[in-house]
This record gives sequence, structure tokens and C-alpha cells, in this order.
Amino acid sequence: MWTKFIASVKKELLLLIRDIPALSMLFLMPVTLVLVMTMLQDSTFKILDEQRLSIIILNNDTGSFGKNIVKGLQASKLFKVTTDHNSSVDGLKSKVAKGKFTIGIVVNKGATQSITKNLNREIYHQFPEEITRSVALDTVGAGVSAKVDVFFDPVIKYSVKQSVLSALREFSAGVESEIIYSTYASLFKQLLGVEMKKSAHQVQLVEIHEQKAVTEVTSAIPNSTQHNVPAYTLFAIFFIVIPLAGNIIKERTSGVSLRLKTMPGSVVPSLLGKTAVYFFLGFIQATVMFLMGIFILPLLGLPQLNIQSNQWTALLILTFAISMAATGYGILIGTIFTSQTQASIFGSISVVILAALGGIWVPIFMMSDLMQTLSRFSPLNWGLHGYYNILLRHWGIAGITTDVLLLLGFFMASVSGAWFYQKRKKG
Amino acid sequence: MSQQPAIATVDLTKRYAQLEKPAVDGLNLQILQGEIFGLLGPNGAGKTTTVSMLCTHLEPTKGLIYINGKEVSENRLFIRNRIGFVPQDIALYEELTAKENLHFFGNMFGLKGKTLQNKIDYWLNAFNLGDKSKKKIKTYSGGMKRRINLIAGLLHNPEILFLDEPTVGIDVQSKNVIIEFLKELNKQGTTIVYTSHHMDEAENFCSRIAIIDYGKIIAKGAPVSLIAQHDDCNNLEDIFLKLTGRTLRD
Repeated sequence: MWTKFIASVKKELLLLIRDIPALSMLFLMPVTLVLVMTMLQDSTFKILDEQRLSIIILNNDTGSFGKNIVKGLQASKLFKVTTDHNSSVDGLKSKVAKGKFTIGIVVNKGATQSITKNLNREIYHQFPEEITRSVALDTVGAGVSAKVDVFFDPVIKYSVKQSVLSALREFSAGVESEIIYSTYASLFKQLLGVEMKKSAHQVQLVEIHEQKAVTEVTSAIPNSTQHNVPAYTLFAIFFIVIPLAGNIIKERTSGVSLRLKTMPGSVVPSLLGKTAVYFFLGFIQATVMFLMGIFILPLLGLPQLNIQSNQWTALLILTFAISMAATGYGILIGTIFTSQTQASIFGSISVVILAALGGIWVPIFMMSDLMQTLSRFSPLNWGLHGYYNILLRHWGIAGITTDVLLLLGFFMASVSGAWFYQKRKKG
Repeated sequence: MSQQPAIATVDLTKRYAQLEKPAVDGLNLQILQGEIFGLLGPNGAGKTTTVSMLCTHLEPTKGLIYINGKEVSENRLFIRNRIGFVPQDIALYEELTAKENLHFFGNMFGLKGKTLQNKIDYWLNAFNLGDKSKKKIKTYSGGMKRRINLIAGLLHNPEILFLDEPTVGIDVQSKNVIIEFLKELNKQGTTIVYTSHHMDEAENFCSRIAIIDYGKIIAKGAPVSLIAQHDDCNNLEDIFLKLTGRTLRD
């Protein structure tokens, strides 16, 4: 048994090493895909994750309103703010039109003054005339609104526009409160001679608790490396179905399989030897791809794949299950199809479809609800989901149990399917 | 030649689900130990199916097979250790060298180490392939491939050797080497069961033959006796055409 197993492993290794096109497909293709796709998708993932909207501000107001808007936008995590002191309104507008900035904001001259005068007038009218006769509030020129011009890049989404406008309203509300407070303080001083103190307790009246109400799919948004390295590792591992199925068909059509079946003992050691080689090939592919994510991608200015020491065991178990699933699928295709051409065409197309469904090309969280449901039927999705659970959600072995069981179930189903098909055909 | 049967079949039948008629239909055959027995027939006659069942590869639908007195279905391992099978196709790995192929098949027979190495060297030299043993099979000529194909079935010194068209598509010299070698092997006691389309080869090579058609034996005996039984036939080919007809079988 052991001699046969070792002989089979040795033979498969020799065949594989001498099959340069297959090796290139199994290693060069996924490595190239990871490099290209990570670089291509990096900016897209950055938009989702960390890239902020670029805003240029021309603050022509000398008062607190203009200053507060600049300060507030700079403090926001949504925007990357550039203040412009030299441009005209048209110059700023042109910068947005040329795509240098997504949004341009112009706080017009005298905005703080206009707000102050308008508020003064409002407050002034709240008091009886006999009282207001004795106080002096600057309301000259009231009735003209403070003006803020906002220029948007035409391609910007409605929701983004609304966030910018809301932010501006929020900052102006803050400034209005301050002005109202100081107007009342001035009134009290003039009427009662009382100097109002500024409250030492800045209590936030309404506290908004920001919490994530997300689905499992959106709870772990990866960066380009965290998506592409595991995704193309899976893709590469599943591509072993092509040489494996081809190898099985070649053995069958050349009569080797028939010869082996007339030899003493079971064909199981020979099959196990074949399975073991392709199974470990999957491990080697995964190792190469993960090392690339750790060491090569950062050299190209791409995010590094961070794997913590306590994640390796879970990664090993998951990769084991993925390799098993891919090997089982290869055995099934190799058993069902009668020619290498048929097997390689069906094998490659089916892997590409399963990859697309599984979220390899387009991440699951970007898919429609229907496609997200369909993706649950792809073994590549189970693998990717497992990798996300380990690398992004840090769930450990317990977090990948379902995915591992599904992948092993897929292996069992594929091998059983191949066995039944063979038995039926022989019968 | 012993009078003990090496192979006996009783009402051997094989039906395939997709075919209306049985591929092998109630075949009763006795092949004696030390015989060179030829199984002849047109395309689709049931030769390969019969050999596949005798080699334990296919399960019969009905009937029994005895090899060296043991019933096949209950003594599969015992029988497989005693038979050798050389398929019609070149059942070798083209990307491996002759030695690598023979090592692999030897290991599959449970042979290993020095014993296997000595056997491989012996057979390679016997077939004039010793100096080319480290070349990949894909670089070999048709005749060389056939010889390696034959060696792969001989490594474990089988008592019964099944050969499915062992000389198809090769040059006269290679054919001659193979036939002479098989005769020598038979002299040493190996029973040979052989299928072929070459009637002249079968006539000279086989001690007895059976012509089968549509899964049934239509003639059986020593080639010389069969020719003597048919006054209008000069050789085995004439008998074959007389019994199976001149219609093309595809």
C-alpha cells in the first residue's frame, strides 16, 4: 500500500514538473492576476475605506462663520480640505470643473456680519418696544442672507451632495448659536448691567450614539490586498481541476487506468497519490500567494497583508478544505468528460463562473441582494468567506467551521458523484 | 502443455445498458495451461470485453470465470497476482522515461528495490532498449513503445499473459522481436491469451484459436485443424472471412 502510494506521488510529481504550461497556469496566472487586480482595484477599495472627498475652500469672510466652516470641514473624516486664498470664485469653479477637486466652497465676504445682523434683528423684535428703545443692537443692513456658494463635480452622487450640505448647515447652526448667545449677553448687560459668564459645562444636549447596524457581508470590508490575495489564491487552487482532470482522462484514454485496474490490490493508493500531489499543490499555491501579499505587494505601494501568528492554524485548516474541494471537483470532471479538450473547456469556464459568483472578481458586498444569495452556492464563496472571517473578522477556527464543512462536503459530493458515474458507466 | 485449464468460462455473458444485444453472449471457453490461445473476431465481436472480464476488470452480467481453478469474483487478488495484461493502447506515461514508467508499474505490482531494478534491466536488455531507457516515451518509435508496453505487463512474471493486439501498427522487425519473445516466454510455461486482427500472425503463433462474432464462439480449434475442416479455405483468413462475412464492421 505504502509503496504504491509513494510510487504514485513520485509519478504525479514528475508529470506535473514536466508539464510547464500547466505549472505556468497554476502559478504565473494567479500571481499576475493578484498584482494587476490589486493595483487596479486599490483606488476603488480606498474610496470605500479611507479616501476622503477633496474640497477646496475660498473663505472671503473674516468672521467666525467662515473660520468655523473651514475648521469643521478640516475636522471631518469625510473631507480632505484645501484652503485657497488666492483664487477668484471663477478660478475655484474652474478647479472643480477640471476635476482637481470634487467640491468647491466659497464663503462670501461679510457672511458673519450678515448672520449677526439678521439674528440681532430677530432678537430685537422679541422684546417689547419700551425695552428695546434703551438698547443698541446693530441691525443696519439686516435682511440680506449670508451667502455660501458650493460647486460640485457633476459626477458626484446625490447622497454625497446632501452630506456636504448637511455639514455646512451644521457648522452654520453652531455659529448661529454662538451669535445668539452673545447677542443675549449684550442685551442683558445693557438692560440689567449683568455680565453673563460663559458656561464652563459644555454639555451636549443631544447625544447621538453612532453604532454599526450592518449585515455580516458589509461588516468586513477589505482593502485591495485583503480581498485579492485570498480571492486569487482560491481561483488558483480551483484551477488545478484542469491539469488534474486532464491527467485522469489521459490515463483512461491511454489504457494506463485499465492496466492499473488489472493489477493486484486496490487502485485506492494510486488515486490517493494523485490526490495528495494536487492537494499539496494547492498549499504551495496558497503559500506563494500569501507570501506575495506579505512581502511583494507592499514594495509596489499596495497595502500589506497582515497575518497574525494566531491566524495561521485557521488559515491552514481552511486552505486544506479548499484544496480538498478543488481536488474533488477535478476528479469529478476528469471522470465525467471523455476528452481533455472537453474537460479543460468546461473546467476553466465553470471555475470562472464559480469565481464570479463567489465574489472573486467583484466582492460580495458590492453585489446585488440576488447575486449575494446566489453566491452562497459557490465553493469559492465559502473559501473567500472563510478567509474574510480569519483575516478581517479575526474569528479564528470556530469562525470557519461552517465554511470548512461545506468545502469538505463539496469534496465528498464530487468524489461520490465521480464514483457513482463510473460505476453506472461500467455497469 | 498441461491438460489443466488455465482459464475456463461457463456461460459468460456481458450486457451493457446502452446496447440492445449482449456484447458477450454465453461464452464457454477452456484455455489450457501453457497454451497460446488466440481470440479472433471482427470489430465489435466482443474480444476486448471478454479479455476485460478475464482480467478481472469487468464484472460479467452472468456466468462464471475460473482462473487456475479459482473462481474470479471471489479470488480477485489471488488472480491479479498471477495474470499480466498488455492493453491494445500504449498504456504508458509519455512524459516519463522508460525506466520511470517501468518503476512505477513495478511498484504497482508491489515490487521494489533491487529486485525491481534487476527485472527492469533484464527486460530492457532482452528487448534491446537498455541504452534508451532514460529517454522519454514520447521520443520512442511505435515499435519501441510496444516493447515497453509489453515489459510493463511482464515485470511480475505472470503465469497467464493477456495481450490485446500486441503488434498493431508496428514495423515488421519489431513485430518479429515481440512474437519470437512471446514464443520463448510460452516455452518457459506462460499461458498466453492473445487477440489480433492479423490472421497470418495468429495462424503461425497460436496453438489454438477461437473466432467470436456477436459475442458467440463460431469456430474453435488449432489453426491447422480448422483449415483442414474447411476444404474451400487455404488459410485462417479465408476461414475468418467465410464465417464472419465480407461486410465492413465499423
